Amino acid sequence: MLTVKDLHKSYQVGNTTYEVLKGVSLTVDEGAFVAVMGPSGSGKTTLLNCISCYIPADRGSILLGSTELARLDEDALAMVRNQKLGFVFQDFLLLDGLTVRENILLPAIIGGTVSATTETRADQLCDVFGISAIRDKYPAEISGGEKQRTAVARALINHPLLILADEPTGNLDSKSSRAVIHSFEQAKASLGATIFMVTHDSFAASFCDQVVILRDGVVWQTLNKGTLGRNDFQDQLLDAIREMGKE
Amino acid sequence: MRTFTQIYATLRRKNRGQYALLSGCCFFSVLLITAYVCMMRSPTILAVLPEGGDSRKQVMMIFILAVIGCSVFTTYAAGLFFRQKSRETGVFLALGASRWQLKRELRRDLTVISLGSCAAGAILGSPLAWALWQIFRALVVDTQEMSLAFAPAAYTYALAFAVYVTGMLFLLGGRSIRKTNIIDVISESHRSEPIRAVKRWYGWVGIALLVVGGFCGYIAPAVFVRGLHWYAPAGLSAIFYLPVLVGVYMILLHTVANGWGGKRRRYKDIISISQMRFQGRQTVRNMLVMTVLIAGAYFASFYTPMLGTGAMMGYDARPVDYAYHFRADQDIPREGEVRALAEQYGVTITSWAQAPMIRLAVDGNRHVETEGPLGTTWENVYYAQAKSDLFLSESAYNTLTGEHLDLQPGQIAGIMDATGDGQGVFGGFVTLVTNTITGESWPVTMTDDLRNDLLFGHYVVDDADYAEMTDRLPDDWREQMVFFNVENDEETYNFAKALFYEIVDRSGSEVALYDSYDPIVREIEIAETGEYFLDPATSDKYDFTPIDYTQRDSSNFRLYWQYMPQFRVLDKADFVKTMAVFLILFVFIAIVCFAAVIVIAFTRCLTIAITNRQVYDDLRHLGAPREYLFRSARSQIRRVFLVPMVTGTALIYAFYAMIMFFNDNRLTIRELAGLSSCLLLILVVSAILYGVYRLTRRDVCRRLGI
Repeated sequence: MLTVKDLHKSYQVGNTTYEVLKGVSLTVDEGAFVAVMGPSGSGKTTLLNCISCYIPADRGSILLGSTELARLDEDALAMVRNQKLGFVFQDFLLLDGLTVRENILLPAIIGGTVSATTETRADQLCDVFGISAIRDKYPAEISGGEKQRTAVARALINHPLLILADEPTGNLDSKSSRAVIHSFEQAKASLGATIFMVTHDSFAASFCDQVVILRDGVVWQTLNKGTLGRNDFQDQLLDAIREMGKE
Repeated sequence: MRTFTQIYATLRRKNRGQYALLSGCCFFSVLLITAYVCMMRSPTILAVLPEGGDSRKQVMMIFILAVIGCSVFTTYAAGLFFRQKSRETGVFLALGASRWQLKRELRRDLTVISLGSCAAGAILGSPLAWALWQIFRALVVDTQEMSLAFAPAAYTYALAFAVYVTGMLFLLGGRSIRKTNIIDVISESHRSEPIRAVKRWYGWVGIALLVVGGFCGYIAPAVFVRGLHWYAPAGLSAIFYLPVLVGVYMILLHTVANGWGGKRRRYKDIISISQMRFQGRQTVRNMLVMTVLIAGAYFASFYTPMLGTGAMMGYDARPVDYAYHFRADQDIPREGEVRALAEQYGVTITSWAQAPMIRLAVDGNRHVETEGPLGTTWENVYYAQAKSDLFLSESAYNTLTGEHLDLQPGQIAGIMDATGDGQGVFGGFVTLVTNTITGESWPVTMTDDLRNDLLFGHYVVDDADYAEMTDRLPDDWREQMVFFNVENDEETYNFAKALFYEIVDRSGSEVALYDSYDPIVREIEIAETGEYFLDPATSDKYDFTPIDYTQRDSSNFRLYWQYMPQFRVLDKADFVKTMAVFLILFVFIAIVCFAAVIVIAFTRCLTIAITNRQVYDDLRHLGAPREYLFRSARSQIRRVFLVPMVTGTALIYAFYAMIMFFNDNRLTIRELAGLSSCLLLILVVSAILYGVYRLTRRDVCRRLGI
């Protein structure tokens, strides 16, 4: 589904160059729920932004299905973002002037693919994520958890190949965080979504099939949940983080 | 809702406040500029403001200030609009909208905003100017020359400004979408506008630059002209004023970033100062524009009190109630006719003095100009007959003034005005006097100056010399000066007007001349260049209105006719009418500039309120009492209002006082009185602006829930 090979990215601040990604390689299988963890400055968000094509990588390859994202022009990238990717942001990034339902439909409206079927799908997504009762409300009138579930529904409206989530629980309380993670699980189980999530939260990451741990711009370790229970997997994650701290 | 256009329309409806603010700002700017330019280029105004004269330069200078102010203001409003919109743009791009899609929608919006607001502003600009003018005519003064006409050419200025507004909107709009990095776009609306570390010396250095720039800017033209004998391009002299702008910017920056309270107030003002810093760049820019506009507005406002106070004091200081002079070849009312007319109007003439004068050529230096690669330079060239002046005999002078002057043969005395204000205008050094008819010359030595307002600019010679100099002079080189007093001067307006009309009606076309018309200068100019700019025949070429007896009540006639009588009661009563166009034009300019200041200050304060709402909620959650929140909000609003107002007012007042002082290296009584009137005006305007400040503060506090 997603293959990242030898990805490099650096930033220039004044005369100093900061190399944030120093050759990251990873693979995300179709239908997988993958998390990327790591300390601040390890390159998590930069990696996500490169995959999202929000910022160009210096070198390396990002293969989505059979499409090499690094070689696409501006219009083709816009189409990929609209049709093949779904986004969930830490700050939700819902448009305040649109209702919950309109926000969910937004990617389809941008892509010019709104039909009765799409509208029905939006309603179904509202049902799946438990936000039907608030679908005619505006973002300012709903809670943070509801906003993020709206964002997840929005990310799924165009049947994307991959959902990219940047700290989706970062601004939420534990109850809302659990609801959002549950919505990801539902998306995966009932809609077959593939999810790539950047998070600091070991609890959120413990629901994933695979956790990639970044350190100083490279993949330090990849943990697979396999048959482990969620609690055991979280312990394994915490152990790995502790071990990383010792080095 | 199924299309992107529909989504855009929905968001437009939701964000109509932002659209209204941008449209309002564009509309207001174009309206203001159009109204101003319609007035500035109106034939009514151009006929009164002499080409190349100081008044026209002042009007143009304030216009440039207004254009700069409005440009910065609209650019700021557009920047704010696109910044608020950037979040939407970022979300659309992040969700896969193409830049082309966004540009198409934005282009549609901007077309409506720019065309709509610019067209409305341009269309309503001239009616606004016309309406204000008519209100002035109805409430203040109305004269025949105040009939307002607009020149279609004025619209080219308004159109140019509208094109700028439109171009700027599309440029900034295009740039906001062209930004390649979506992450920046998404986070742009959350980005703060920090001011780089501002050292505490900024404030004092700013004040120093202000003083130095003001002084250098004022003195530079004089240095160029008098020191270097070079008429430098106007733009070059203006460069010397640049430190003033830098200084004002540094003062404002220091005020916003540090405050003037020193370290002891650090904690007292911590919230307001930190919030002002957060919005620093835009706030300082706005405050700079306001400062410049306030300075421009006061510059225009001071015209009326300075002129009015000086003129009224001048009228009161005249030694006699009535004075007029005429060429000896003219059939102008003499004593008998004047007394008869006075009797007709029930006026008693209490004293009468009449004396002859003659026009003689005097020697002196003339500026001979040369065009070179660096512009025009000049050099002094001595002429035995440089110009002409009027001469009185000592006995004629004594008759008119009641003094007992006794000059020696070969001596002449120049007559200054009573206060000596005319030092720079008059006071040339004459060594040779010539009878232009006989060609005979007399070397003379100048003695101490005399003082008399009504004989200002003339010379007195010994009686015997006068008799010799007068030899064979024809009547058109001779004049008569008449002084007389009346009982109850202030009640003789009708008589004064009748006598003035009689004098005008009986004056021939050969004396329909400007006050600065000089037959000797004319001879020189004709010989050297083939024409004389004050000849009625060249009035079109040099863009001035010829003296016209049918326009005897116009400003042009009363201010510039060489034989204009000086009747105190008439001059005082008709002062406002005579100066109507000047006064109303400058009042209009002041109103326009002050209106712009009020709109900018109000919108800036509202922006601060909207931006800081969250901060006030947080402070409330931290337990801040209402009084604390109120003090913090008041501190910010006060800074936005107070700093530009104090800076702009102090700046222009000091500049005005400097101009007055350096005219003759002292402040005369009239100048001091004029400056006092200006202070009074500042108090009145400040009271009005304080009212606006209070209203704004109330509105901001309401929006912040304080």
